[in-house]
Amino acid sequence: MGRVEYDDVWKQFPTRDAPAVRGLTLDVADGEFLVLLGPSGCGKTTALRMLAGLEHPDRGDIRIEGRSVLRLEPKDRNVALVFQSYALYPHMSVRGNIEYPLRVRNIAPAERERKVERAADLLRIQHLLPRRPGQLSGGEQQRVALARAIVREPQVFLMDEPLSNLDAKLRTHTRTELKALQQQLGVTTIFVTHDQAEAMTMADRIAVLDAGVLQQLGTPDNVYQRPANLFVAQFIGSPPMNILDATRDGEALVVAGGWRIAAPHRLDGARAVKVGLRPEAIDLAMAGGDDGQPAEVLVSEPLGSEVIVNVQLADVLLKVRTAPDVRPDPGARVYLRARHDGVRVFDGTTGAALN
Amino acid sequence: MSVIGPQAQTQIAVPPRVRPLEGGSRLEWVLMHIVFAAVTLFFLAPFIWLFTAAFDAHAQAYIRWPSAPTLDNFVQIFSRYAFATALSNSVFVAVSTMLLTVFVVSLAGYSLSRIELRQKAWITYAVLLLQTMPLSATMVPIYGLARELGLRNSYLGLILVHSAIELPFLVWLMKGFFDSVPRQLEEAAWLDGRGKLRALFEIVLPVARPGIAVAAGLSFLSAWAEVLMVLILVDQQSMKTIPLAFYETFRSAGGYTEVQYGLVAAMGVLYVLPVMAVFFATRRLMVRGLMSSTRGL
Repeated sequence: MGRVEYDDVWKQFPTRDAPAVRGLTLDVADGEFLVLLGPSGCGKTTALRMLAGLEHPDRGDIRIEGRSVLRLEPKDRNVALVFQSYALYPHMSVRGNIEYPLRVRNIAPAERERKVERAADLLRIQHLLPRRPGQLSGGEQQRVALARAIVREPQVFLMDEPLSNLDAKLRTHTRTELKALQQQLGVTTIFVTHDQAEAMTMADRIAVLDAGVLQQLGTPDNVYQRPANLFVAQFIGSPPMNILDATRDGEALVVAGGWRIAAPHRLDGARAVKVGLRPEAIDLAMAGGDDGQPAEVLVSEPLGSEVIVNVQLADVLLKVRTAPDVRPDPGARVYLRARHDGVRVFDGTTGAALN
Repeated sequence: MSVIGPQAQTQIAVPPRVRPLEGGSRLEWVLMHIVFAAVTLFFLAPFIWLFTAAFDAHAQAYIRWPSAPTLDNFVQIFSRYAFATALSNSVFVAVSTMLLTVFVVSLAGYSLSRIELRQKAWITYAVLLLQTMPLSATMVPIYGLARELGLRNSYLGLILVHSAIELPFLVWLMKGFFDSVPRQLEEAAWLDGRGKLRALFEIVLPVARPGIAVAAGLSFLSAWAEVLMVLILVDQQSMKTIPLAFYETFRSAGGYTEVQYGLVAAMGVLYVLPVMAVFFATRRLMVRGLMSSTRGL
């Protein structure tokens, strides 16, 4: 059982001007796979390290299963952390590394042996047990680090960008396996990453952080489709959401080049707004219709399964996702239509979504 | 059940073997070897003298092969000059100094590396400043302190002073080694269930083993070879160490005009052997340690 709660947690490092974490409140359900996502320096690793007991919050409380852990040493928190660098003990064999947490807890040798074999079996590293970490590839080291974490059967797994040292192919492969492993073990997992693709593919829920503040907490679909603010809108998605300054004209929003987009819902007041359109929320046609907004193609980027067409609309560059067979030439005139259910509107001043 | 499949092993490229003289002329090869031989001979000559004279009953100030090799010089330094006492004193003082120094510099270096202190940079530089003080400048205060504290003619006095001489430099050296040990290793050990002190001894110190070997080697050699402090702290025959016995033998056995070279050489051999033994026992660790310490600077 491993429910985790952050309750208004603050952390300021003396060497930094701004707090690393500001008022983080988060409730992670037992067995959930939560991803802390954000750019470098957003406070995600600090939040993770505070849960592990490697940093102490200035304010607030952190609870595991309803019990505050702030006064507990890292060794007493029953959490396992997989570091970005894996932090394998170089002077011990792989077996020594995996059984270290068991030896520390004075588990009987026979039981220790059984648990090490089971973890090694789960991660297919039996053949590596006699070797030293220095003799292993990055992927193998990562498995050993995972084995060392799961062998203890902790309440919570913490993972600090464990895939970032792997090459792109292995990273994609491993994230699928890691997700399967977590589902099999059912242990609450908090996974830190700056890679939104990792977050989208692995998380039950994503917590997006920026400048130490929780920007949004939601399922991958929710965070992608209904970003809470401009930061989330532009951080999640590749390519990111197109953002256009808009003025209101009755029920319509007028953006660059006089393109009129129907507002998705009633908007109160006459505030300055911004319109957000995902690349797939724009339909691109080669022939004009009554409501098609003419624009000029700058360049097409074929990606195999899709094409990203860059179109110039007045002084704004828009990215439009199209089918692989749609490849307009540079300079071609195309016609854009915004899908009604894909239009997002944000407050022009605060950047918050207007729903 | 396995959920993770095997993946590709990383390929390690083997660099082509470098042949420094490739393309050079035969003359260059010959000249280089002559220079190498000359330099080697220059540095080896004192040792050749030492090892030939020690076994020569009529040793001279120049290198000569003993006409009738003998152990007589060794027998004499033990029977007539109480060399055994000096040898055991030196071994005891050097080994104790080494143990004390390694213990202290490990903890001090670790603290300076890991603990966040307000004026850490100043403290660290102050430690280095101590190393730049000429040893002879501290002679008088050390003599006075040792006399007041009853540490003259005592093992403890010698061990403390010898340790203190080496501490500043070795604290710096060890700080560098600990800086190069990733913090995440000990953090992993804490999370695995170890307290901070046990994590230091089980994880950090074994990883910093080359550094500890360097600290141990250098502190042993320094205490073994130190003369000045022994001269001011020891005047009892039973407390003298090898350098002092060496000096007295050189002076008293025949005086400056008629030096007993064979006796001096025999002492010299027994003086350098432990040093060579320490070096050969720890050479791999020492080289690794010294290489990584210079990388960290």
